[in-house]
Amino acid sequence: MKGKGENIENFLYGNLHKVTTPGRYLGVEVNSFHKPFYSSHVRWALIYPDLYELGMSHLGLAVLYEIINEREDSMADRAYLPWTDMQDLMRDKGIPLFGLETRRPLREFDLVGITLQHELNYANVLRVFALSGIPLRSEERGAEDPLVVGGGPGAFNPEPLADAFDLLVLGDGEEAVGDITEVVREWKKSPSRDRKGLLRELCRLPGIYVPSFYRPHYREDGTLAEVEPLEGAPLPVRKRVLVDLNSYPYPRRPLVPLVESVHDRASLEIFRGCTRGCRFCQAGYIYRPVRERDEEILLRMAREMIDSTGFEEISLTSLNSPDYTRIDSLAGRLADEMEPLKVTVSLPSLRTDTFSVKLAGKLRRVRRAGLTFAPEAASESLRRSINKGVDEEDLYRALHAAYSEGWRKVKLYFMIGLPGEREEDVEEIGMMLRRILKGKGSREPLVGMHFTVSISTFVPKPHTPFQWVSQLSLPEVARRHFILRETLRMKGVTFRWHDREMSYVEGLLARGDRRLFPAVVRAARRGCLDNWTEQFSFSRWEESVREEGLDMAWYVERERDRDEVLPWDHLDCGVGKDFLWSEFEKALRGEITPDCRFDACAGCGACQGEVRLRLAADGV
Amino acid sequence: MPRMESKDQTSRLLVKFSKEGDASFLSHRETMRALERALRRSGLPLCFSEGFNPRPKVSFSPALPLGVKALAEYLEVKVAGPADVELARERMNQALPRGLEVREIRLMPMHIPKLSRWARYGLYRVERGEFGEGEVIHLVLSLAGEEQGRLREALEILGFGEIGSYGFSVTRVGIYPSLYEAVEDAGGRALYYDGKARVLRELEGDEL
Repeated sequence: MKGKGENIENFLYGNLHKVTTPGRYLGVEVNSFHKPFYSSHVRWALIYPDLYELGMSHLGLAVLYEIINEREDSMADRAYLPWTDMQDLMRDKGIPLFGLETRRPLREFDLVGITLQHELNYANVLRVFALSGIPLRSEERGAEDPLVVGGGPGAFNPEPLADAFDLLVLGDGEEAVGDITEVVREWKKSPSRDRKGLLRELCRLPGIYVPSFYRPHYREDGTLAEVEPLEGAPLPVRKRVLVDLNSYPYPRRPLVPLVESVHDRASLEIFRGCTRGCRFCQAGYIYRPVRERDEEILLRMAREMIDSTGFEEISLTSLNSPDYTRIDSLAGRLADEMEPLKVTVSLPSLRTDTFSVKLAGKLRRVRRAGLTFAPEAASESLRRSINKGVDEEDLYRALHAAYSEGWRKVKLYFMIGLPGEREEDVEEIGMMLRRILKGKGSREPLVGMHFTVSISTFVPKPHTPFQWVSQLSLPEVARRHFILRETLRMKGVTFRWHDREMSYVEGLLARGDRRLFPAVVRAARRGCLDNWTEQFSFSRWEESVREEGLDMAWYVERERDRDEVLPWDHLDCGVGKDFLWSEFEKALRGEITPDCRFDACAGCGACQGEVRLRLAADGV
Repeated sequence: MPRMESKDQTSRLLVKFSKEGDASFLSHRETMRALERALRRSGLPLCFSEGFNPRPKVSFSPALPLGVKALAEYLEVKVAGPADVELARERMNQALPRGLEVREIRLMPMHIPKLSRWARYGLYRVERGEFGEGEVIHLVLSLAGEEQGRLREALEILGFGEIGSYGFSVTRVGIYPSLYEAVEDAGGRALYYDGKARVLRELEGDEL
């Protein structure tokens, strides 16, 4: 076994000069731990199934990397998906995917953790298996193979990939990785090393889902009859919630990317969860309740991160940063403290209101990039139905504030295909832009302002009030794009749209079940790496699904009944199915559900026991 | 005179660093970023550019091709006050990826020209064989001006393959203001590649 590490090292030094951006494969980043492989009891490899530049920007893995490495009994290495030139070389020379720091094959680790951030990464996940030589199905793996662990938002419906995972973590990983490490550490000492016994033990930990212990039964019409728990596994699996984010102030010393990355900066997570209640937004449901970090802790984290990295920018991240209770104070103090260090403080997400614009202005957010607002829908009725609590007046005010602060470039996000959308609603987008540009009543026209209108196709997601609805068919998306192209033909407006076929595949996988797994395997073997646009091929997906005797439209366009057993019903994110249904009905009636952070509790079910809405403590 | 004094407070530091092992696979841009971030952590009173994304005022010695190791590269940085250069060197070395190492930080007297003015010639040691057991060639290239030469071309004439491939290794030993100093460091004898005429010439120290 010992020779393999040296093989990888020799391979690297003999081939790095042949690939683009070899810095991705070195693993010598500032703040990397480089813990010893042999003397560590439990060895984790953390995988982001996409390029280094994306993986290094991901906060969740950065947090887990530090937590695992700070433990005495464990170590964590990491790997990303190599670019195609490197993949080809590795295949040619028989080099398996390896941990960047240890330069050891992933196969030799005890645990391989893969984050499921997006459906269009699922084929990439299978590529990770193919490159690493880890047997693809959980049932094919033996005592010497790693346990493959999934996590991230995709864990809330991992069914299209469920057969590949030994276990998944639902919800927050900070505590779960420690629990898993301890169980695996003890198991490694046991003489029998019974894998099933290990899984039985793991499935008893809160938030752990072991797919092989749940057997789906289907009806003749193809829908689920039930999901039967085996081996005494819990039903449903409840997600793990970190009650108090102050107790895990990570990352503290984040890795500094060797290669320019998508988010090449420090990320300060100021709170987790969002209760704005936008009915299309999965993150808004699965990460509930809102848990804010205290201001003093955030300031300390910020200092430590900047001290330990030399990053020139720190970003206040969350699902909706202006919502942070003490945002004005935090942003002001942070900006003051960072000014002498010439570190920029930035705010990635902006609400559509004046307050947010002013805040962004105060933080001297990079001007060139421009501002982004997401009204999501142009007509008032549609915005009510998705519970987006902004009206056109808010947007005007925000835009005028931005205009007077000197911004001249604005990006506006809209969705098409929302439930109940009519042709007029699509046309309304163009009319809204016209009103904005021309000015209305007392409002001045925004002379010289440039708008990029970015249109995505609505994809219904599990654990949202729209989990039952139909997604637009491809011809229908094309038709609405045509309408938009016609109505948005005006000076000062650039129209961009998402690839409709990609959204279709996203929809297929988002609400898919276990029968899709062989189809995903086929698509991946045919070379699909969907996130890498040039490797996306809709026809390969179509063929792959057809060859398994399945119908894409059945998954994507079919409206589900209220009582249908959904493939993710046995996975509990805290928000109840009845609540989601009542939200769906309210959507149809155009009724708003207020944010429980500012209004009464809506009774979604996310707060239970110790788990509750937690706002930042008042200052000193 | 107070005005003169305040102007005198800014000074230039010359940071000498090496780039070996893994770090030789970092591009020029990536190396600059790593060093800039280490500078930010050095405790030096850096001068920053104006604007929305302030950056330390730094200039670097000419780019090194990917895969080439280097023993003595330079960056010049402007500072606004007195600096503890030894402490800064230690701090920078704790803040750099493996393979990048600050060797020395020196205060530059005012009469020494800027880095970009004196960084004229590069001396390269080309070694045949995997473990430095083979023949050693000293190669000097002009880094600026008319006769500026590309390392890859020189190596091609010498019959070597792509930088990084098996069979040989290349190290930039140093950067010099004059041909004479470069050849002297090579032990008095080196090959000079004239990038304009695209020919190699034998140079000896006493001829210069």
